[in-house]
Amino acid sequence: MRRFRLDRRTMLKGLFGGAVVGVALPTLECMLDANGEALAQGRPLPKRFGIWFWGNGVRRAHWTPNGTGAGWTPRAEMQPLIDAGLRDWFSPVTGCEIKTATHPHHSGMSGILTGARYHQLGTTRDTIVTTLPRQSIDQYVADFVMNDPATRTAYRSIEAGVCRFHGTDEGTTFQHLSHNGPNNPNQSEYNPLALFNRLFGMGSAPQAAVARQSVLTAVQAEIRALQPRVSASDRTRLEQHFDSVRAIEQRLGAPSGACAAPMRPLDGYPDLMGQEQIEQKNRVVSDILALALACDLSRVFSVQFSTCGAGTVFWMVPGFRSGMHQTCHDERASADPATQQPMVHAATTFTMQQLAYFLAKLRDTPDGATNVLHNSAILCTTELSEGYNHTNDEFPILLAGRAGGRLRGGVHWRSGARDNTSRALITLLRAFGHPAASYGVGPGESNAVISELLA
Amino acid sequence: MRSTIRRTLVPLGAALALAACEGRLGSRAGDTPNQAVRRDGGLGDAGGDGSIVSTPDAGDPVLPVFAPQAATMHRLTRAQYRNSVRELLGAAVNVPTDIELDTQLYGFATVGAASITVSPRAAEQFEAASYNVAAQVFNDPARRMALVGCTPSAADDACARGFITRFGRRAWRRPLEMAEVDRWVTVSRAAAGAYRDPNKGLEYVVAGLLQAPHFLFRVERGEAVASIPAMRRYTGYEMAARLSFLLWSSTPDDALLDAAGRGELDTADGVRVQVRRMFADPRARASLTAFFSEYFKLDRIAPQTRDRMLYPLWSPSLVNSMIQEFERIVGETAFSDGDLRDIFTTRTTFIDQNLARLYGIPGTFDETFRRYEWPANAPRAGLLTTAAFLANNAHPVTTSPTHRGKFIRQFLLCQPIPPPPAGVTTDIPPPMPGVVQTFRQRLEMLHLQPPACAACHTAMDPVGFGLEHYDAIGAYRTTDNTLPVDARGTLDGADFRSGRELAEAVRNHRALPGCMVRNMYRYATGHVEADSEAVVIRDVERAFAAQGYQFRVLIEALAASDGFRYAANGG
Repeated sequence: MRRFRLDRRTMLKGLFGGAVVGVALPTLECMLDANGEALAQGRPLPKRFGIWFWGNGVRRAHWTPNGTGAGWTPRAEMQPLIDAGLRDWFSPVTGCEIKTATHPHHSGMSGILTGARYHQLGTTRDTIVTTLPRQSIDQYVADFVMNDPATRTAYRSIEAGVCRFHGTDEGTTFQHLSHNGPNNPNQSEYNPLALFNRLFGMGSAPQAAVARQSVLTAVQAEIRALQPRVSASDRTRLEQHFDSVRAIEQRLGAPSGACAAPMRPLDGYPDLMGQEQIEQKNRVVSDILALALACDLSRVFSVQFSTCGAGTVFWMVPGFRSGMHQTCHDERASADPATQQPMVHAATTFTMQQLAYFLAKLRDTPDGATNVLHNSAILCTTELSEGYNHTNDEFPILLAGRAGGRLRGGVHWRSGARDNTSRALITLLRAFGHPAASYGVGPGESNAVISELLA
Repeated sequence: MRSTIRRTLVPLGAALALAACEGRLGSRAGDTPNQAVRRDGGLGDAGGDGSIVSTPDAGDPVLPVFAPQAATMHRLTRAQYRNSVRELLGAAVNVPTDIELDTQLYGFATVGAASITVSPRAAEQFEAASYNVAAQVFNDPARRMALVGCTPSAADDACARGFITRFGRRAWRRPLEMAEVDRWVTVSRAAAGAYRDPNKGLEYVVAGLLQAPHFLFRVERGEAVASIPAMRRYTGYEMAARLSFLLWSSTPDDALLDAAGRGELDTADGVRVQVRRMFADPRARASLTAFFSEYFKLDRIAPQTRDRMLYPLWSPSLVNSMIQEFERIVGETAFSDGDLRDIFTTRTTFIDQNLARLYGIPGTFDETFRRYEWPANAPRAGLLTTAAFLANNAHPVTTSPTHRGKFIRQFLLCQPIPPPPAGVTTDIPPPMPGVVQTFRQRLEMLHLQPPACAACHTAMDPVGFGLEHYDAIGAYRTTDNTLPVDARGTLDGADFRSGRELAEAVRNHRALPGCMVRNMYRYATGHVEADSEAVVIRDVERAFAAQGYQFRVLIEALAASDGFRYAANGG
């Protein structure tokens, strides 16, 4: 069974990416046998890998901290994290750039999620249509987690969204965060009640489990019978379908943990007076995720607070009337860095307040002797540096959590040499305990761990 | 197939795209993607920005020999899923909306559907939805009897087997094989045994058949035809599904499946007979009207914002009215026997109180839509002067002659315009202090004077200037920034002085019919046409033209075309 799965994954990668991944097959088998860092003595400590993403970048003048190492002082846009007492729980990484940049939104998204250049399908309107060239880094980690019976969880990964805006015609890169492969996204759940029901709302009669099992068996048999009759590419699509159905089957009858479920959320958070209830939605999504992680329902997650290039209306910012993306273009940048684009700056600060809520919630959720944030490795990032000129250099990255003690918080690491953003990714993978030798493809590949951030 | 794909993969580099801004508008180059949509979603050459093909662009070009694309699986779109379930289980069924979003590629969810799969979350959603709808029917004895037609006394008796065979054919759009029937009888036994109720067995079978790949995907492979060894022809049952999802966005009815079973869909004439029947069905109007909404990207209106001080009428309710007006005009015009191009000039429209207020129409209106004829001297007629089109192509505080002109060029005339060069600041500076100018005058200075900008904007802004009498939410105005609006311009030789005259020029543009055919072809086939399909599109356009541009002729010619009926070998 395990061998089959590895072969299949290898096939997927060959078909989709031909991509360079750090784990060759023998290494992975070796690792699984060796009980390496991922497994502590006896029962392994759960570690989580996550992404918290917001769109349209930051105002650099208000972002990059003063000073490096442990002795840095934050600027305004990181202040909400400091105010929430999170200073020692995250490390800013600055001065890196996407090495595969050709189109700001698409390159940034693909670069920071896959370490590779986007896969262009064509053009539309005044821009391009792309998808990710291979699985995003959260799914790369999910492979690692789910391939090992000792770390496998009920849900391969959890995807949640907050601000509802999403683009429609620039391909999946522009709409979705987590991807299993090209044109194969894991869409974020934007309805908190649906997210709640997915994770905590189950529970059915025993006869239903028997009957559902028989249906899932039949559906899997149908997929297997169909596969030899279709083209190679369709076989691959059906393989994903098979995996998805099998994942449901594997959860049948499995206890979802002796966990206290979070408060049942409202059914939808409709706009009030035309204003999207962003803060309320962010809170309830954060609360649900914190408990789902504490219950070990999944060890891989992503929060798409807002999509790349999002047109979210931050109505709470005085004067804000267009979507965020348009505002980044339209609000004039003055010569004085301290005062430029005040609305964009205020919206970014608000966004960091939402991130602060999420991280603080994880920190305040007990997990063994420590807390969920202590046992997490979280990439907090966006797809651009600055919205108004759409650059992919000086990429905003925060590495949050302590990865069970492997990741250092409270350190500002700054590249003096326009380093590859994939350095942050391989650092996070190693802190998580992933044995990857490198991460990324072509110019986006890096094997250079930022050792200052590892404990 | 290989040769077709390889042809489309030839990148010519950025030169062709630029050429589009230097007098080669009208060339096919640039719009067609730099590679065909590969059904595997796999990596091709992602390096070039260039476009493909080298079709001559004037006169009567010699087109490459026809070669179809490979057959593929199409996952049902949200609309197709909803319509199919209601078709199978009854219109009273409430289909859950908690189904993942469509993936639009090249503007159409049907194109995305040819490359997406079923993610873990999507499988959960389809599972939950299928149990939900099956329970709705089986919990109600009357509806259950209407569906099943008999009462099973055992999970595998004649009633149960008969139902599985019958329902399976409708749900999977083809007769089930014996092994498949047996497989679902096994499910029926397991579920009936668990609940000690044969009806439960069939309820789980219904829910299960709706989770199978044969329902969630249209599985298409084609079959070898001795007379044409180079290609495969879609089987009768595959054609039944292709036709019903094209015309109805739904699963085939029994008449269509029966026609397939009799071999009638193996010929172009047999296909035409069914298309005529289906086009007259109300389901065709709803489904094909939705095509136009997608073609015009109307799903982009609602997320937009407007300055509340400048546009106090802007509201979700108004946006909803705008879209309804647009769709009613399309429904009225495209489903008459008239000229489809009249959707751009018709004086017939449909107005509710929201639109009456926006358009300044006197009289008493309420929430119901009333048919309304614009007077001959009114400033509006046709889709380009609807608030839906005008608001969809505008900014929060201004109109956008650029977007409006670009939509007309790119999507109505299929004349591609490349994106702005990298590193250009595209925001529009505020007006110079003390200088009173119209937006047109500012754009003429900013977009049309600098040569680098003018190269492309010359093709867009002057077309959009024709719609400057309509503000960012589509209200009529005679002045802009206190100065009179100037809506004069020329579209490829046709002079206009107003939005109506521009619409007339678009309606009569020689590129319009072929461009509409091309978009319908993408929507219908679920792929972007390869160079080797250009001949099909040309032939459909000729048939369309020969009969006065009736919409039903376009659909019929397209459905009966080789491009719709044949697939490549291999794949």
